[in-house]
Amino acid sequence: MDDGENVIELVDVRKTFRDFWLRPTVNAVDGLTLSVSRGEVFGLLGPNGSGKSTTIKMILGLLSPSAGKVSLFGLPPRSIEARRKLGYLPELSYLHPFLTARETLTYYAGLCGLRRSVAKERAEELLEMVGLSDVASRTVGGFSKGMSRRVALAASLIGRPELLVMDEPTSGLDPISTKEVKTLIKALSAGGMTILMTSHLLADAEDVCDRVTILNHGKAVAGGRVSELGTSLEEFFLAKVGDPGDFKLAGFLARGDAR
Amino acid sequence: MRGFLEVFRLEIAALVRSKTVAMLSIASLAWMFAMPFVVTGDGTVEGERELFIHYSLGGVFALLLVALVASATGVLARERTAKRLQLTMVRPVRFFSIAFAKTAALTACGAAVLALATLVLAVRTDLARPCSHVLKPVMPSPREEAKAMYRSFMEDPNTPVQVKSARKSAVLRLLENRAMDNYQTIGTNDTAEWKFNIPGETAAAAVRIRFTNQFDMRDDVRGLFRLGGLVGVASNITQAIVTVPLLGAEQSSQETAGDPSTAEANQASLRFENRGKRPLMLRPRRDIDLLQPADAFGWNLLRTYLELVSILALTISFGVFLSAALGRPVALFTAIVSLLVGEMSPSVVEQYPDELEKDAVDRIGLVLTRFAAEATRPVSALNPLERLASDACVERKEVARVVVLQLLLVPVFLSLLAAFALPRKQDDL
Repeated sequence: MDDGENVIELVDVRKTFRDFWLRPTVNAVDGLTLSVSRGEVFGLLGPNGSGKSTTIKMILGLLSPSAGKVSLFGLPPRSIEARRKLGYLPELSYLHPFLTARETLTYYAGLCGLRRSVAKERAEELLEMVGLSDVASRTVGGFSKGMSRRVALAASLIGRPELLVMDEPTSGLDPISTKEVKTLIKALSAGGMTILMTSHLLADAEDVCDRVTILNHGKAVAGGRVSELGTSLEEFFLAKVGDPGDFKLAGFLARGDAR
Repeated sequence: MRGFLEVFRLEIAALVRSKTVAMLSIASLAWMFAMPFVVTGDGTVEGERELFIHYSLGGVFALLLVALVASATGVLARERTAKRLQLTMVRPVRFFSIAFAKTAALTACGAAVLALATLVLAVRTDLARPCSHVLKPVMPSPREEAKAMYRSFMEDPNTPVQVKSARKSAVLRLLENRAMDNYQTIGTNDTAEWKFNIPGETAAAAVRIRFTNQFDMRDDVRGLFRLGGLVGVASNITQAIVTVPLLGAEQSSQETAGDPSTAEANQASLRFENRGKRPLMLRPRRDIDLLQPADAFGWNLLRTYLELVSILALTISFGVFLSAALGRPVALFTAIVSLLVGEMSPSVVEQYPDELEKDAVDRIGLVLTRFAAEATRPVSALNPLERLASDACVERKEVARVVVLQLLLVPVFLSLLAAFALPRKQDDL
């Protein structure tokens, strides 16, 4: 796949956080180079503090890299054109608690530049898809974590993005919803959407990702096509990261989910 | 534009559903209705009316200013902390639109509540009551006068060495401060003359004046005012502010515009002949106003409302900018301190002249206070409520300037700065 088809491209990206006196405190990302091709489901994996969220925020244009280059569709991530093609599902839902589910979706549709009538139509369609049609007029402040997650998922899809960035997409969902989300990811990918996701649940990543990169201490320590790893993703991961710590739990959860 | 509208709608929904608008409306209405029972004037109907107008709308304005600036300082900072802002920032909407829409929504909320209070005031006052243009004599600016005085001091061999060797800027500032209080003396049977720039025709006019004398005692004032063919007779006591109507036969506009041989275009000369027994004194910059009929109180109230909304917009946009660049507690602290400094610095500068700059701390404090007074002068110099209460016309030109500058240009500029700060502040998280 040549460079022209890369949706996301990071070249030798570094991010150093500094304190008030501009002294470096943390090297969150250290010389990361990766690219995600059109239509791919790409997994960014790693233990806590490995730099996944920082990388995602740089891809989204929420953080500026200290060095290196980040581009989306060949454009700077903060350009309006790049953001027009972008959808984002954060790790937690972060919804406006005073808006109803329907208003939440029409708000984000409006931000994507959709006309009011189209926005309403698409909101209904997505509410139906995430199974929240009957509570569409309730304020999301009263929703359970799982319901909020569904609203956030619908909101991330409202602009029909070409690239969907999902931070822990199955976090807070029950097993049935998790399975539905994984099915949805596969369907979206089959429809041509590029997906970048992070996950602690290695079984989830294994199920849906075409390719993964494993981050540790801000560096890419391993990566490749899931189908070509020759072992389970969990075993591969533990072998590469070395310090299983946090991922004992991840592995346990993954096994539990598989049962 | 769609992004702007969406963020605007969202912010309005937040203000309405969090009951902020309702609470502000209730508090404002309660204040408006309670004022007549609280206010104790000088015992006259006019005095009570003036106090009611000033403090009822003034109280609501102060409440809105504090409440909305406090809200403005949280409008982006709180959303950033709650991470909701990032969901808006990753959409194809300009950061400027986000900041400007939030400023506009808070301003709209303030404008709506203030409109409610203004409506109550309109119902409780006589909207047809006439107002006056208040004209000041045409004089060199205090700065120009101070420079001229400084030159003459330097040329005068009798000027003390301490004055000659003092810092020029300090002496000039001192002289400038005092220029406002320079007295003019009008001897017995002498005639004083002041020039006024008169907009339009002077169909009728009055002079509002306050005399004193060198003994600072109450004494009879007798004299005659002339403005073109209009005549007014002053017969009162010193130390009191008197309004002398200028009356005369039907005048042509040319006559009433003053004596064409001596007056420049649009300028009229007001003369006063002192026919009393003692010389009279007055401070021309403070003690004499020429009053010309203007439109009704209702229009003045509308113009005052526009000026107040513009001041609200300016302070809200400052709060939103702080919110973009700082965390909530720091932004709130900075905004409140800025408001207090802006409010207090002019009187501090007036009360503490340079002679008091004895030690370094005082000097630094006064320099900073003077800077704050200068920086906030465009807002602090406006006093629409005082003029509304005293039936002085809030001039259209001034309202237009304030609306363009404070309701539009400054909020746009501060929103651009906020847009610049937004992604950079995100880096700190």
